[in-house]
Amino acid sequence: MTTATTAAPTAGSTAERDPGSFRDPGGFVYRRDGVLYRQIGPASIADWEAFLASGLADRLIGSGRLVGHEAVDLSLAATADARGVIRPEPIDFISYPYEWTFSELQDAALLTLDVELEALAAGWTLKDASAYNVQFRHGRPIIIDSLSFEPLEDGAPWVAYRQFCEHFLAPLALMARRDIRLSRLLRADPDGVPLDLAATLLPARTRLSFGLLSHLHLHARAQRRYAGNEDEGRAARRARIDRSRLVALISSLRGTVRGLRWTPAGTEWSDYADNTSYTDRATTSKERLVADFVARAPGTRAWDLGANTGRYSRIAADAGREVLAFDIDPAAAERNYRQIRGEGRTDVFPLVLDVANPSPGIGWLGTERRSLLDRANPDVVLALALVHHLAISRNVPFALLTDLFARLAPWIVVEFVPKEDPMVRRLLASRRDVFDDYSLDAFRAAVGERFEVEAEEPIEESGRVLLLLRRR
Amino acid sequence: MLHVTLAYIDPGSGSLIIQVVVAAIVAIPIFFRHQIARVARVVRGRRSAPGEGSGPQHLD
Repeated sequence: MTTATTAAPTAGSTAERDPGSFRDPGGFVYRRDGVLYRQIGPASIADWEAFLASGLADRLIGSGRLVGHEAVDLSLAATADARGVIRPEPIDFISYPYEWTFSELQDAALLTLDVELEALAAGWTLKDASAYNVQFRHGRPIIIDSLSFEPLEDGAPWVAYRQFCEHFLAPLALMARRDIRLSRLLRADPDGVPLDLAATLLPARTRLSFGLLSHLHLHARAQRRYAGNEDEGRAARRARIDRSRLVALISSLRGTVRGLRWTPAGTEWSDYADNTSYTDRATTSKERLVADFVARAPGTRAWDLGANTGRYSRIAADAGREVLAFDIDPAAAERNYRQIRGEGRTDVFPLVLDVANPSPGIGWLGTERRSLLDRANPDVVLALALVHHLAISRNVPFALLTDLFARLAPWIVVEFVPKEDPMVRRLLASRRDVFDDYSLDAFRAAVGERFEVEAEEPIEESGRVLLLLRRR
Repeated sequence: MLHVTLAYIDPGSGSLIIQVVVAAIVAIPIFFRHQIARVARVVRGRRSAPGEGSGPQHLD
């Protein structure tokens, strides 16, 4: 991680400012001795103290919608102008909106609006509505920016309305009404999806929805109409809206977001779990071996790459691991999330990821939002029924696959699927077989460069092999 | 001066204006619901609990 360092006022160690925390002049986040702190500056200390005293902070923290914190001594501040320092409860893995499934983004949007409604009722408001202010903890969304609240000034419109529409409404509408893959527009622009772009891409019939017509299409048109016009800008800053109307606006926005539906069907892999080639006995054998191998790897965090709908993620979770369940298919990850949310599970968190094209660093200096590999912290990686997809469909040599494994974790549970397997034959059906080196022996040799093979067991009735690797 | 002028993110002129317009429109049904609820309470007499039917928050 690239960080700006700042001399500490009194503490001996160095404060490393988070590269993604620079927009709000009221405060920022930094690390000292590996511990995360948030500094509150002179511009926002009065609002912060009033927020704590209002009871709203306690209610939001108590209901798990705002991250909790502990006040710490000012000597731990990063800079001399600090007026307060808090230590927020840590979030184990920071994920980004372009890695979330449709319902994860929708749940984060609804959380933001529900918190805004509760804030309005208490005479407060959110001064920003960035999707990056929401994280997932124990499988549920939570707001992590404690400094997002300010007193509601009588008659003031919602300053974060535009940001909410760009960060949440536009991508959700595009995913639901145009194409689920348009979530990747969030990765192209850290400020969200420009509303005029969303309006261009959305089908014309979305204008028939009052919510999308007003919050998105007319909103985009109004932005264009008033852009760069100084007189109009002054007029806009005088715009007034009373609280009951503001509540009606947020409620309408909430109804619009809630009304967006996407059914995870028809994409590549969503039926894959029900459509695999192995027998019940092979499945049972694989489940037993995965549970056994995961239990032999120490640590608490597991990443399941190519998790599909999460069958083996659950096995790792049942073995006591906190699991990130990555899959390239938004439908599979979505199904996984809905099931986990329905079960109230807290130990599996599905995310959308193409292993061959992991999230890069984006934003200012390319470090404002960190790359996936920069955030990688698993103790063990599961790569089940994945190697043949990368090696054959994506032409990734075993040596490069080994590099990825070695970069990610000290322990790997990996399944090798031989060429004779019906799934591999299917991958080769439409192309020339240029993979002479695709064999278990070649795979063992490649991973052997970086790993010890701790265990190797055949999966019954399948010809497949499960290996447990330990990094040297 | 409103907080709007102090906001650290750009609220956008068009975004401020459109929300005032949209809020005025979506507030109308809420206003009527309040009136209908009030009339309904009067018609039904004093048996209804006070506050019933007031403050619908979600306009789905």
